[in-house]
Amino acid sequence: MGAAGPIAGLGSPPLSVEGLTVRYGTKVAVRALTFTVRPGEVYGLLGSNGAGKSSTIRSIVGLVTPSEGRVRVFGHDGREGGLRAKELMGYVPESTLLFDALTPREFLEYIASVRRLPAATVSERTADYARAFQIVDELDHPLATLSNGTRQKVIVVAALLHQPPLLILDEPLNNLDPRSVRIVKELLAHYISDGRRGVLFSTHTMEVAEQLCHRVGILDQGTLQGEGSVAALREQIEEGDATLEAIFLRLTHEEEGVRDAVRTLTSR
Amino acid sequence: MRSERSRAADGSWREAWRLADPAYTELAFQAIYAVRQGNLPPDLPSDQLAARARSRVRQSKLMVSFLLGFLSLGSLLFLNPIAQQLFVVLLPQGLYVGTVLGALVVLELTLLWWTGLQVLPAFLSSGIVPLLRSLPVNAPTLRRAALLLLLRLFDAPAITCLVLTPLAAGIALHSVVAGLLLIPAVLAAIVFAIALALVSGRFFVRRVQGAQGGRLRSAVRWAYLVLWAIPAFAMYGFIVVAPAFLRYIAGLALVGPTSVLDLVFLAFPFPLTMLPAYSAGLPTAGVHGLDAPVVVAGVVVYGLLLAGTAYWLVGAPLRLASDTPMAARVGLGGIGRFRVTSIAVGVLRKDLRTASRTPGFAFLILLPLLDAAALGIWTYVATPSTADVFSLASGAVASAALLATFFGPAFFAIEVMGYSYTRSLPLPGRSVLLGKVTLVALVYVLASVLVVVLTLLRIFSPVLFVGFVAAELPAILAASLLEFSILFRRAQSKGLPITNLFAGAWWAAAVSIPGLIYAGAPLLLYDLLHDGAGTTWAVTAMAVLALAELAVVAPWAFAVGRGGTA
Repeated sequence: MGAAGPIAGLGSPPLSVEGLTVRYGTKVAVRALTFTVRPGEVYGLLGSNGAGKSSTIRSIVGLVTPSEGRVRVFGHDGREGGLRAKELMGYVPESTLLFDALTPREFLEYIASVRRLPAATVSERTADYARAFQIVDELDHPLATLSNGTRQKVIVVAALLHQPPLLILDEPLNNLDPRSVRIVKELLAHYISDGRRGVLFSTHTMEVAEQLCHRVGILDQGTLQGEGSVAALREQIEEGDATLEAIFLRLTHEEEGVRDAVRTLTSR
Repeated sequence: MRSERSRAADGSWREAWRLADPAYTELAFQAIYAVRQGNLPPDLPSDQLAARARSRVRQSKLMVSFLLGFLSLGSLLFLNPIAQQLFVVLLPQGLYVGTVLGALVVLELTLLWWTGLQVLPAFLSSGIVPLLRSLPVNAPTLRRAALLLLLRLFDAPAITCLVLTPLAAGIALHSVVAGLLLIPAVLAAIVFAIALALVSGRFFVRRVQGAQGGRLRSAVRWAYLVLWAIPAFAMYGFIVVAPAFLRYIAGLALVGPTSVLDLVFLAFPFPLTMLPAYSAGLPTAGVHGLDAPVVVAGVVVYGLLLAGTAYWLVGAPLRLASDTPMAARVGLGGIGRFRVTSIAVGVLRKDLRTASRTPGFAFLILLPLLDAAALGIWTYVATPSTADVFSLASGAVASAALLATFFGPAFFAIEVMGYSYTRSLPLPGRSVLLGKVTLVALVYVLASVLVVVLTLLRIFSPVLFVGFVAAELPAILAASLLEFSILFRRAQSKGLPITNLFAGAWWAAAVSIPGLIYAGAPLLLYDLLHDGAGTTWAVTAMAVLALAELAVVAPWAFAVGRGGTA
């Protein structure tokens, strides 16, 4: 990955979420959530299905208007300065929902136009990414005809195209082949190595989180149950050799539920 | 008592209905809420969401049914002997009735076909039928379920045709039997329309939606789309040329040759639509008449074709919706250069590229263009007087203006696609608005250029023609800005897409009303003034009004979307 462009609001953290609450009608999906992605950090947002990860991310990138609270990207308010905040982000959504009628080339040209990138830069970067992810032969076929894995690669390229100082990745490794998974992991490690950029990484794959994230936040029913490095969380639950999976199950009070479910399933 | 397995093996219609009903709800849900495109549905219990989706689809079908019913009942007027005298005096009444009913049936066929083309890409690519296939259900039941799902898309319009058209014919001809004898023609039109929609829908999913990128391939796609738009455009053309066609038939009945008359009446659906005329005992011969064996042969041929098509339709929905719908991919093996534009132009290019792979959107662009081309060509075919040529040209420009304004709001639906992604981009609402308005203006300008170039060859008066087109342009911009900004405000307040072609069309139709008023006002002013004040003053007044409209609307419209997209 090339050098980052100038980052506005350098004194502010890449992402700060304060008291975020998201309600859908009467249902509260996220409840007074507060966390910060620090410069040079990959922050993992962990949770079961329906824990509120995607609602949190949707609020950060502007798809959902928070009921309460504030999101700041390098100090820029997500609501008041929405466009500036969006300029500083690259986003990989959980599902590969794109303009199906466009080809990857046409889609990336559209993204580049919206982000006002120079054509030469786009050509050069896309060539590099397309070769790395082995999608050169797919660039001129409509997205609707491509496999989920290829679509995921296209969306990853689209998020990286402007080399944003903040990456918001919602299950970015879904559908990717092992080679591409490895490339994304290496890219992320290199990406934050300048100590200025940040990554918010949502997943429910504990091994990946353990491997990639400097700190994690564990969400359950819309509230943060624990936060910190894996070592700090081990101290919190007072188990020195616990895996992240064990920590997660303990903090979300699911250990007993898992045991019961397995017992029921294996007893018949 | 029969076992569960043996009952399932029968492929019962009840079991098929049990599968098709929730599948239909899912299809309606996908069409209305675009959840697969990342849209968030409203916060309602799932049963209410499903009910609302079905209700919206019902509304859309009722709109099409209303139009078909209007056509059917309108035929009552045309079947009246007084109306016949307005068109042609010398055509025997039986031939006149058969011709009018034939035209009505053709209109029904083309309208149903075109409606089917709007919805069948969704049906074919929804993944619902392949999902049904994964269930432990036997093949006959699956075939029936897929068929029922397909038929549900056409139910209200088809029933409207089947009931109202024979009813109208029966009333007009004062004969119950005559009305009943029209049913085979209507049934054939429905079956052929559904079959054509299925086959052509699949063709477009494979060859247009699934076509590769690149300039040459884009040109080929648009060429396909022009071919596709012709049947729909034929509906309109059919109405325009109907009087000339009736006069042609009258000429054949008067001076022959009989063989040509027979050949014309062998075409679908004339043998079938002659049956009510025969049963009502209406005369079918002037100096020359139809040969009865020709009509009988036609009835037999179309009867067999109807039976064959119906048989094919029983299995086709399952087979075609289960295939991989896209064409095989071949690597083009190159990265090439990427082209980057301003944001508004990027929105415009994205919309044009989307339209080039989406027949529904392409039609909205092509109809005003084809309309302009046809009216331009008509100035040669009909050899009207010099004064009439300008009237035709101004009429063509006016209809291009109104069509572009009427169809414009539908392009808002493109923003629904990729919805979850585009809202995360730094995409100013103003740029989206500009891109959309530019597309509508582009359609208007292209259509006007077409008609102006064609008519200039008849009357060389470029200043007048170009002046007329230019005077209307600000009104088109004002109308589009008004329509899109209403849609934007609505979408921003609701956080939801509110319009697409098939479903939820009420809003698109609703905002087109003020749009049409804005686009139509300068044209109306021109009409009022040009006889008294002269053409130059009329065009000047038209331009002033159009500019005033733009001055009023633009500030309000550009206040929309200072943040992200709708």
